[in-house]
Amino acid sequence: MRRKLYYILFKDLLGGLLITLKTLFKKPVTVQYPRESVKIYPSFRGRHALVRDPETGLSKCVACLKCVQVCPSRCIKVTYEEDVNGARKLLNYELEALRCIYCGYCEEVCPVGAIVLTEWFEYSDTNRESFLFDRERLLLNWDEFVKKYTNNVYTNKFWDLRGVPEVNKPALKRLGIQVNLQVLKDRG
Amino acid sequence: MLEKSSITKDQIFSTEDPFFSPFVIQMGPQHPSTHGVLKLNLVLEGERIVDCEPIIGFLHRGLEKLAENLTYTQVLPLTDRLDYISAMNNNTGYALVVERILGIEPPPRGKYLRTMVCELARIASHLLWLATHALDIGAMTVFLYCFRERERILDFFEDICGARLTVSYPKIGGVRLDVEERTLEEIYNFIPVMERRIEEYEGLLSDNRIWLDRTVGVGVISANEALAYGLTGPSLRGSGVPYDVRKHFPYDAYGEVDFEVPVGTRGDTYDRYWCRLQEMRQSLKIIKQCIERLPEGPVCAELSPDLDMPSFKRAFRAEAWGESSFIAFLNESVELIPKGELYSAVEGAKGELGFYLVSDGSGRPYRLHIRTPSFVHISAIPKLAKGHFLADLITIIGTLDIVMGECDR
Repeated sequence: MRRKLYYILFKDLLGGLLITLKTLFKKPVTVQYPRESVKIYPSFRGRHALVRDPETGLSKCVACLKCVQVCPSRCIKVTYEEDVNGARKLLNYELEALRCIYCGYCEEVCPVGAIVLTEWFEYSDTNRESFLFDRERLLLNWDEFVKKYTNNVYTNKFWDLRGVPEVNKPALKRLGIQVNLQVLKDRG
Repeated sequence: MLEKSSITKDQIFSTEDPFFSPFVIQMGPQHPSTHGVLKLNLVLEGERIVDCEPIIGFLHRGLEKLAENLTYTQVLPLTDRLDYISAMNNNTGYALVVERILGIEPPPRGKYLRTMVCELARIASHLLWLATHALDIGAMTVFLYCFRERERILDFFEDICGARLTVSYPKIGGVRLDVEERTLEEIYNFIPVMERRIEEYEGLLSDNRIWLDRTVGVGVISANEALAYGLTGPSLRGSGVPYDVRKHFPYDAYGEVDFEVPVGTRGDTYDRYWCRLQEMRQSLKIIKQCIERLPEGPVCAELSPDLDMPSFKRAFRAEAWGESSFIAFLNESVELIPKGELYSAVEGAKGELGFYLVSDGSGRPYRLHIRTPSFVHISAIPKLAKGHFLADLITIIGTLDIVMGECDR
């Protein structure tokens, strides 16, 4: 009976309209994207970069090829040469960003924290060639990222793997990896 | 007065009708309300559906076959692409089956975190379902409101693991990273907000006469028929069968948390809507308990396989590096994990999501079959749609909560 009365008095519709009316006076939640930017959380898996070692100015990659092995989409290609002692020297690090599925396995498995998925997400382009990152391009990506980064020390969640038992981490990652950006910034 | 009589096929036409001429139209695969690339071949008599045949396979990516060429850890990001709306559940389902075949157990903190993110994903999935379902029927406002809250949940995922949809957060033997205290606090504060929001959706829809006209008595399926068609999840619970994998075969921390399984009575679109809204409330309850009882400790088991399984040192031959050797070393007849086969299921957002894994002892699955709820639910569309108006077909597709990425895989 009560429901019938409500039905006649349009209470169901008016109740809904009241909710929409209340929302009219609330703060809008829409982000006006090109003018405002969305908040990006730390360790967002965005554009790839090779970390530029502040001391040598080159990448930290030791050509262990772990990233090549774990990559589910097989988008990484590493070429290197070996000297007589068996020490490896990186020749080129190619990464096909269009094949990448951004799982973050490469940065998680990297023992020295060389490859990283930066928090840079605006990198659309009109030609495919610009997504074939080689070593120079990846280092350049890092420089571009550092320019916009405000803190002086960069670290990534996938570098220190909080909560994961020590035995499951690569040896160097147990110490924790950080990059001092001050040197790079001073150099310009 | 609010009840709408359901019309049977026999009432609308009889085969003796001399004037009956079927009208065949093809709906989809590029139709906005088929929720992906679903095609329906419809036989119409006027506005009424006489017959309906779903055509699937437009989004087939060969995911099961692809899994046979990848290591166990590499398959995990693929499962994100099944039901891309609640990727956490897929990852957990896959991680569980490998864990069970390996015989490892995640630590309690890993279990609780996995349960928490699974429930968040379930809410996100139900929100997207409610948004699109309401939009199909004609309620635009609900669509916008639901996406507002879904954005919050995706932000939590971004904060936790760095990705919004293709998360790959749960892993074999636990989760990949610990969640920060700050994030847990934010999620905890979000729970009362979300409870109020669900009340808002209910205020907009539950008593609304247009919503009732469009949903009550549409797409009725009885409990026995639903079981016969293999429906699971909220689609089955709407018909009154209280089957829930989380309750009947508890995995992760579901055995330790307290929650209820909402069931409908009539098995129509409205009851399935009601079930899903109640389920969101129960999910919030589970998340609350998970955060309150979150144990300390590591988040993944020490025995969990490394990302670069099989063992790097054993198999790697530097001089013969290349794509071919990558495949070759996986073929080595060394038993890395126990041989055997196993089916294990989780309660995905859409229904029972099962993984059937056959292991031959090598580093990659011999066979991975995925039992996806959407695939099964699509087979029930003809049963639900027969005798209804063409406009109600949109409601029926919406109410089953279909994701074509999961169906075609």
